Amino acid sequence: MSLNDKEKERYRRQLGVRSWDQDRLRSASVLVAGVGGLGGTSSLYLALAGVGRLRIADRDRVDPSNLNRQVLFGEESVGRLKAEEAGRRLREANPRIQVEAFAEDITPASVGRLAGGCSLIVDGLDNIATRRVLNAYSVRSRIPYLYGAVRGWEGMLGLFEPPGTACLECLLAGNKDTDTELPVFGSLAGTIGLLQATESLKHLLGLERTLLGRLLIYDGRDMTFDLVDVARNPSCPVCSSLKA
Amino acid sequence: MVVFFKAGSELRHKLQPDVDYYTRRVETEPGRTVREILKDLGLDPAFVAFVYVEGKVKNLDYVPTEGQNLTLQPPVSGG
Repeated sequence: MSLNDKEKERYRRQLGVRSWDQDRLRSASVLVAGVGGLGGTSSLYLALAGVGRLRIADRDRVDPSNLNRQVLFGEESVGRLKAEEAGRRLREANPRIQVEAFAEDITPASVGRLAGGCSLIVDGLDNIATRRVLNAYSVRSRIPYLYGAVRGWEGMLGLFEPPGTACLECLLAGNKDTDTELPVFGSLAGTIGLLQATESLKHLLGLERTLLGRLLIYDGRDMTFDLVDVARNPSCPVCSSLKA
Repeated sequence: MVVFFKAGSELRHKLQPDVDYYTRRVETEPGRTVREILKDLGLDPAFVAFVYVEGKVKNLDYVPTEGQNLTLQPPVSGG
């Protein structure tokens, strides 16, 4: 399946990037779970890169407090469903890809319909409980899970694909959601979302030296990046039954 | 035994570093877990999701050894 003239022109500046394969990106399907500070950024750059099929899922409506960091929305978006607004914005950004928007919660009942058939799950969520639902499905269906999270000046991302690596639950262990709203600002969330987009593209292109089994931890206050290994938890309730 | 706890910007105000901007020198008994050492310092372990040491993530049951540098990581779940 070769690129037509309009696609060749649209993607001209990236086609020369070493190891780039536009056809491979065009045939990929990715679920971006949550289209807020993280997912709004990652989905926009995946759309611009020409990932052929983007599914986005978010149950929320746009709140004024989202506008400090959620780049797909403006003041006119307040009160509207995030998934629908984001879907419209992504189709505008790149009409040559397919965008499917789901304004619904990610639950054990819905996750298979939302993520099934995708080659990657990108985590743009804002809570641990839904991450657990998505991680459990990722492990069962062997779809790689690209984690991302932010708080204050710090953020992190990592790629999990058991049994070759840990799963997200190996990292979270007993962690639970906090009752308080975590502070976050736009460029910090955007940095992690952009790194998730780059990591997604590397994964979809089949490149080596991804973050598989590792976390990249960014501290914006100190301008430091730490790269650390996440080992499998032999008693992980989600992935320990999988044999490496 | 001495170990060193390091904190990024989100936990630094709780750790109260004394070695440099990031790091606190901690005297402890061999065999104590990170969770126990945090409690000894008067720090609530709930503020720490995990630590990393020598490039590897460890949970709060990890038992540090003499001279190790451990970075404390807060729960990070926003988006």
